[in-house]
Amino acid sequence: MQLTPDDIVVFTLAGWEVNATIVNTWIVMALLVGISMLITRNLRPDVPPNRWRTTLEVIVKLIQGQIEEVTRNSARHVMYFAGTLFLFIALSNLMLVIPGFSPPTSSLSTTAALALSVLVAVPIFGIASGGVGHYLKTFIEPSIIMLPFNIIGEFSRGISLAIRLYGNVMSGAVIAAILLTVAPFFFPVIMDMLGLLTGMIQAYIFAILATVYISSATAEPDHPVLKKEDKP
Amino acid sequence: MSIDWVTVIAQIANFLVLVWLLKRFLYRPILEGIDAREAEITRRMAEAGEAEKKAQAAEAEFRQQKKQLLSDQDAMVKQALKESQDQRDNILAEARARLEQEQQDWHKHLEREHQKFTTRLQRAGEETLLELTRKALRDLADEPLEEAIARHVSARLRPIASELTDAAGDSKKAVATTRDPLPEPAQALMRADIKDLLPAISLDFETDPQQAPGLVLRIGGAQVAWTVDSYTDEFDALLSERMATGTSGRI
Repeated sequence: MQLTPDDIVVFTLAGWEVNATIVNTWIVMALLVGISMLITRNLRPDVPPNRWRTTLEVIVKLIQGQIEEVTRNSARHVMYFAGTLFLFIALSNLMLVIPGFSPPTSSLSTTAALALSVLVAVPIFGIASGGVGHYLKTFIEPSIIMLPFNIIGEFSRGISLAIRLYGNVMSGAVIAAILLTVAPFFFPVIMDMLGLLTGMIQAYIFAILATVYISSATAEPDHPVLKKEDKP
Repeated sequence: MSIDWVTVIAQIANFLVLVWLLKRFLYRPILEGIDAREAEITRRMAEAGEAEKKAQAAEAEFRQQKKQLLSDQDAMVKQALKESQDQRDNILAEARARLEQEQQDWHKHLEREHQKFTTRLQRAGEETLLELTRKALRDLADEPLEEAIARHVSARLRPIASELTDAAGDSKKAVATTRDPLPEPAQALMRADIKDLLPAISLDFETDPQQAPGLVLRIGGAQVAWTVDSYTDEFDALLSERMATGTSGRI
């Protein structure tokens, strides 16, 4: 049983083995960018939006609204980052239903890469917002005794993000595969439907947690960030 | 379950590229389109607000004008009624004045016609009286009227000869005026009587078409006359008296 698409080599490029995770990621990227380009190529303010553009606007405004609910410092670059996380993970998880397609999010390498991106993005947004001193000061708050725990907490965030996303997506795929051998007619359909639901939930949780981390790093003392449940 | 770090690096790169691509082809166009549309909607709302304000102002102005027009209409109707009333009064006053004037003119015309008729009647009476007198004299005494008048005037001169001399004063001339030229025998008779009564006075004869039939003799400031006026006056008085008493039918 294949647990990760990392082991599937699709082709070799200049000695580098391009696996299914990367190829499927490119497919998801191509779909996202292609659809966006098709819909947004001829936008004019005086022309009423069509249904596709309205759908995109609803999705973007939904993402923007969710981010604004989490943080008051709703800079657009936070939305670019967190929104891309959501769209990429959501579309990858939705493509779970395509037979023979292994979602990139079912690879621990992908979830680790996304978690690392969040880990790196948090200090970058924090430093960009308040400077290096302000960001480093958050590690000794409320007291310098908390410094090692804050450092451990910072890294554990990334690890928990990566493992949570991988575990949820992969577990769905594994459970579907196991049930396919036991009861091949009905349960896989139900599990795939459940997988779509959990996939969307995981995309939402991953993106919202990334937003919470970034906003906590960029929050000013006078504007405390709305803390959300840090559990899925 | 293992992590392929090459894949991790590739996925990080893929993700960053995806962030840039979506920012370039999704977020920015969509958000800018929304912003532009919101700006367009805001602009149109502002224009609609301005148009609504203008419409409200126009409506208020229209209502004011309508109110003013109704007020003006009432005033105009009142003014027209007043003007028509005045005009009617003026027309009635003019009609009354014209009627009074026409009545006055008619009265004047009647008066003139009455005077003319009276004058004509008087003249006709005079002529008739004169002709009848002349005819009666010729039939009864075989004497011309003019000579009888001359003799009558001379007879009236005789008792007042001294007064006439005083009245003549420095004047040496007497004038006998008749409407028609006096016949030569009558003139000779008059001259003889004047020469007999007033030797220093010469007598001249004149005619005056306006004078009543008869003879008027003027000597200085004195005047002796016989005309039919006195008779026609008596005739008129008698006629008026009879008409006033309703006895005209017996005339």
